[in-house]
Amino acid sequence: MLQRVYVTGVGVVSSVGLGRAAFFAALETGASGITPVASFDASPLGRLYAGEVRAFEPRDHLTRAECRRMGRCSAMALAAARMAVSDANLGPSALAGPRTAVVLGTTMGEAQILEELDEEWIVGGAGAVTRALIPRYGSTLLPIHVARALGAEGMVLTLPAACAAGNYAIGFAADLIRSGRADVVVTGAAELLQELQFSGFVRLAAMAPERCQPFDLNRQGLLLGEGAGILILESEAHAAGREAQPLAEVAGYGLSCDAYHITRPHPDATGSIGAMRGAIARSGIALSDVDFVNAHGTGTRHNDLAEAKVMSEVFGGRRVPISSMKSMLGHCMGAASALEAIGCVFTIQTGVYPPTIGYETPDPECDVDVVANVCRRGKSDVVLNNSLAFGGYNAVTVFARPGVLPAPRPASGKPS
Amino acid sequence: MTPRAVTGFGVASALGVGRAEFVAGLRAGTLPRTMGTDVQTFDASRYPQLREGARIAEVRGFDATRYLGDKGLRPLDRLTKLLIVSARLALEDAGLKAGGTWADATGRGDGARPWPERVGLVVSNAYGSLEAIHELHRVALLEDARYINPSRFPLTVSNSAAGYASIWEDLRAVNVTVSDGNCGALDAVACADVLLGGERAEALLVGGVEAMSEGLFVALDRLGATGASPAAEPRAGAVLGEGAALAVLETSAAAHARGAQVLAEVIGYGTSFAAPAREASLVHASPEALARAIEAALSDAGVAARDVDVVVSGASGLRAFDSAELGAIGRTLGDEACVVAPKRALGETLGAGGAMGMLSAIAYLRDEARSHVVRGTLRAKVRTALVTSLGYYGNASALVMRAA
Repeated sequence: MLQRVYVTGVGVVSSVGLGRAAFFAALETGASGITPVASFDASPLGRLYAGEVRAFEPRDHLTRAECRRMGRCSAMALAAARMAVSDANLGPSALAGPRTAVVLGTTMGEAQILEELDEEWIVGGAGAVTRALIPRYGSTLLPIHVARALGAEGMVLTLPAACAAGNYAIGFAADLIRSGRADVVVTGAAELLQELQFSGFVRLAAMAPERCQPFDLNRQGLLLGEGAGILILESEAHAAGREAQPLAEVAGYGLSCDAYHITRPHPDATGSIGAMRGAIARSGIALSDVDFVNAHGTGTRHNDLAEAKVMSEVFGGRRVPISSMKSMLGHCMGAASALEAIGCVFTIQTGVYPPTIGYETPDPECDVDVVANVCRRGKSDVVLNNSLAFGGYNAVTVFARPGVLPAPRPASGKPS
Repeated sequence: MTPRAVTGFGVASALGVGRAEFVAGLRAGTLPRTMGTDVQTFDASRYPQLREGARIAEVRGFDATRYLGDKGLRPLDRLTKLLIVSARLALEDAGLKAGGTWADATGRGDGARPWPERVGLVVSNAYGSLEAIHELHRVALLEDARYINPSRFPLTVSNSAAGYASIWEDLRAVNVTVSDGNCGALDAVACADVLLGGERAEALLVGGVEAMSEGLFVALDRLGATGASPAAEPRAGAVLGEGAALAVLETSAAAHARGAQVLAEVIGYGTSFAAPAREASLVHASPEALARAIEAALSDAGVAARDVDVVVSGASGLRAFDSAELGAIGRTLGDEACVVAPKRALGETLGAGGAMGMLSAIAYLRDEARSHVVRGTLRAKVRTALVTSLGYYGNASALVMRAA
C-alpha cells in the first residue's frame, strides 16, 4: 500500500523572521523583509533593495566547527533544518540511520565561496587561491552538511532546479517516502543573496527599484531575496509510530518543461497549465477542491501574465484566491518555492491566506482574485504551490489538511 | 527496483563522441590522448606542472557544429554543447530521433501524446559552468558589474545546460538536474527510476555532464589532486576529465512496445552517506558508505555478491579514494572480484563519472570490452555488472546492471 506523506515540522530562515512562529506571524500581518542591501555595495548598479536576511547569525545555530567548515548558504539550510527537527518534536538523534534522506533545492548553492575563490585567483593568480576554501564550494554540499549534523545516512541529493527547486525537492522527497525508499526526508531549499546574481538581474532589466508588486498594473519587476525553508516529510506509519501531529499532507505534484526559452515562460503557458492540472489529478481531488493558490508571482510582466492565464485556463470561471509571498520576501530563487510551501502549511494551519502587499492598481490583463494588502480568512483544506523557473521549468505541489485527501494511489497512467 | 531498459546511449568523452567511438576506445584500452601540454580548452602555458606530468583527458577536437549544425550555438558554453550533443546522439541511438527529428510513434493508437511530451532529461552535474561564472566575475571585478554580458548570465545558473538541452531537443516532460558530486550520475538513475515509476515520462535521458575549464584545473591542482603539484608523487593524482554521457532509460514494457533495441538493463541501486570521525574534516573517503551502498544495491537487485561478474569502479588515481573504494569492494564482494577502472582512459569526469561508468558497464556486458582490469580476472561471460561511485564527502552510490 502506498504511504501517505505528512509535513510534521518546518524551519525557516527568512527576511521576515526566523522559525515557524515568527514567519507565520509575519505572513499574517503582511510584513515586508525588503531593505537596502547591506552585504555588498549595490549602489553602482542603480538598484538598492532586496529581501536580505539580516538577523541570521550562523553561530546562533551551528557549532564553531560547523561554522568553520561550511558557507553561509549551507549554514542557513542547516539552521532551518535544526528548527524543523525541533518543530517536529524529533529528538537530536531521532533521524540517525539509513532511513532518513536529505533532498534539498538551490539555484547557486555556495555562490559566495566561488566568488571568493575567483577573486583570489583573478587578483593573485592560481597560487593565491586558499586551498581550504575549495572543497566548500558546490551545491552538492547543502544536504551533506545537513545529513552529517542529523546523523542521516540515506540519500543525500541536491536538485538545482532554479526558482522551482523547492517544489522539485519536496515532490521528489514525497516520492521517496511513498515508494518506501525512506521513512523521513529532510527537504526544502536554501539560497543566498549574492552580488553576481544581483548584477545579472539588473543587467537583464528585470529588477524593480524598491517594491515587488505582483499582478499590479504598475509593476516594475522583481526583487531578489534569500533564505532557507526546510520541511520534515514523514511517512504516515513513521509519524503514527511516534504519535506525531501532522501539520499538512503532501499530495501530488506536477512537473513539465516548456522547451521554449531559457529565461521566459511560454506565452501560452501550456507547460505550466499541464503541470497544475497534473498536480491536481495526481492528488485525487477535483478542481473545485482547491481553496487557494500560493503564486509564483515574481512581479515581472512575463510571469504575471503567464500565471494569470494558468489560473483562468485551469479553473475556468471560478476565481480561486491567489497571492504572492514574493511581495514580502522578494524572490528567494531556489528557496522561494520551499518558503512558499511553508506558506501553504501556514494557510492550512491557520485558515489565513497571506497578502500580496503593495497591490494598488489591478492589471486588467491579470484577471485573478489577488489577496490584496491584508490577509484574508477562508476555506483552507487544499492549497496549491505554483512555481515557474529558469530553464522553462514548471512545478506545482499540492498540500492538504490531514484527513481530507483520498488514499494515495499508483500513478494515473498519464504523464504530466 | 523494477528493471529498466537502456535502449541507447550518447556520449562525448576522451574516448570519442558517440557509442561506436566510445566502445572502440574502451575495447582498445587506449589511454587519453590529451596529456601533457596539449590542452585545448585553456592556455596551459601558465602551468609548468602541465609539462611535467599532469594529465588532462579532454574531449579532443570537440566540435558541436558537426552534430547540431552551425546555427544558434554561439550563446552556449562548452558544458551545454557537450550535453546537447550527447542528448542528440542518445535519442538517435535509441531510435527516438532520426536525422535530428522525432521518429514517428508506432503502435501507440490515436490517443498517443506527441513524443516531446513523453521524453525528459535527468542529468547530474557537480560544478556548473565555472567557465561562464569566472568570465562574469572577471568583468565585475576588473571592470564594472554593470558591464557583465546579460546573454552569458543564464549560463551561470546550475540547471542552465539541462534547460538549453530541453529547448534544443524539444524535451517537454520532466527536466531535472541533480548534484551529488561524483555520485550524482548514479543518483540520477535512481531519480529516473522514481520518475518512470510515477509515469512522469516514458523515456528519460539519464546521465551526467562536466566540462573542463581552467578553474576546474586550478582548483583540483591546488588540492594536489591532479598529480601535478610538486609535492605529490608522480601518478598519485587523477587524470582530470570532462564529457557528457546519457543513456536512454525506459520501462521494459515501453521499450518492448516500440520494438526498441535493449543494450542492457538497470536492476538495482543503493546509496549511503557516512560522516567523518573527526569534527574538523570535510573531505573524506568512506569505505563504510560505499560498502553499505553496494549491499543496498545488490539487495535491491536481488543479486548475490558472487554473481557480480565485473565491478566498474570509479578508481581514478587518487590514492586515498581508490584504496577506500577497492577496500569496500573487497569487503562486500571478496578480493577475487574483477574490478575495472575505465577512468584510466576517460579521466575523472566528476558529475558525469557514474554515467561514464554505466556506459562502460554496457560495453563489458555486451562483451565489447575487456580492458582496464585493475584487480582479479574478467570472467569469460559477463552477465552482471556493478557500477560504483565514491564521493569526496562521505557519499557513495552503486548501481547493478545486467546483460539484455
